[in-house]
Amino acid sequence: MPAADPASSLVAGLWLLNVILDTAGQLAFKAAAGNPDAGDGLARWKHMAARPWLWLGIISYVAEFLVWIAFLSLVPLSEGVLLGSINIVAIMIAGRFLFGEKLTRLRVIGILLVTLGVTIVGVAG
Amino acid sequence: MKRFYLFGFLLLMAFDTLSQVSFKYAGSQALPVAASMAWIQRVFGQPWVYGALIGYIGAFFTWMSLLKHAPIGPAFAASHLEVVSVMLLSIWLFDEPLTLPRVLGATAIVAGIVCLGVAESHQHHAAAEPGTTPN
Repeated sequence: MPAADPASSLVAGLWLLNVILDTAGQLAFKAAAGNPDAGDGLARWKHMAARPWLWLGIISYVAEFLVWIAFLSLVPLSEGVLLGSINIVAIMIAGRFLFGEKLTRLRVIGILLVTLGVTIVGVAG
Repeated sequence: MKRFYLFGFLLLMAFDTLSQVSFKYAGSQALPVAASMAWIQRVFGQPWVYGALIGYIGAFFTWMSLLKHAPIGPAFAASHLEVVSVMLLSIWLFDEPLTLPRVLGATAIVAGIVCLGVAESHQHHAAAEPGTTPN
C-alpha cells in the first residue's frame, strides 16, 4: 500500500476516521449505559435521553455509518472487517485511560495479537 | 445469566453480519466514493443500506442491553467474532478468496479476541470470591 497512491490514502484515511468515530461512540454509550443510578426499563432510557452521552454516541455512529460504507466499497469485505478489528484495541486502551479498566497481562497479549493480525492483513492482504 | 450472554452475543453477531454484508452491497452500488450529497443520495437510493440500518438498530439495542451488565472491553471483543462469519460469507457472496494473509490475520485476531474473553472471565471469577488475589 504505497502512501503516494491517492486511492490508498483515501482507504487509510477512512480507516483511521472509522477507528476514531467508533471509539468515541462506544465510550459515549458506555458512559450512558454504565450509570448504576439510572434505574430500569423506561426510566433508564429517559435518564439516558436527558444526558448528552447517548446522543454523542448516536452522532458518532451516524458519521461512522457513512465512513464505513465508503471504506468497504473500496476494499474486499473480508479484508475490511479484519482491518476494522483494530477498533477493539483502540477501545481497550481508551477504556483503560477513561474508565480505569485494568490492562492485565492476558489483555495485553490479546491486544498485541489483534494488532498483529490487523498488521498482517494491512501489509500483505 | 450465562445463557443470556450467549444468546445476546449470538444475536449481536447475526445483526453485525447482516450489517457488514449490506454495507458492502450498498457501498459497491454507490461508487465512486465522494464527500458529496450525490454520493449520499446514491447510498440511500438503493435497498441495501436499509438492510444495514436494520442490522445496526438490532445490534444497538442488543448491545445496550448487554452493556448494562458486561464491561465494555470484553463485551466489545465478543461482539467482534463476526469477522469469522463475514469472512466465510464473503467467499460465497463476493467471490473473495481465503488468501494466506487473511487466514493468518484472522487467526491472530480471533486468538486475541479469545485472550480478551478469558482475561475477563478470570477477573469476574476473582471479583466473585472476596479474599482471592486479583490477577
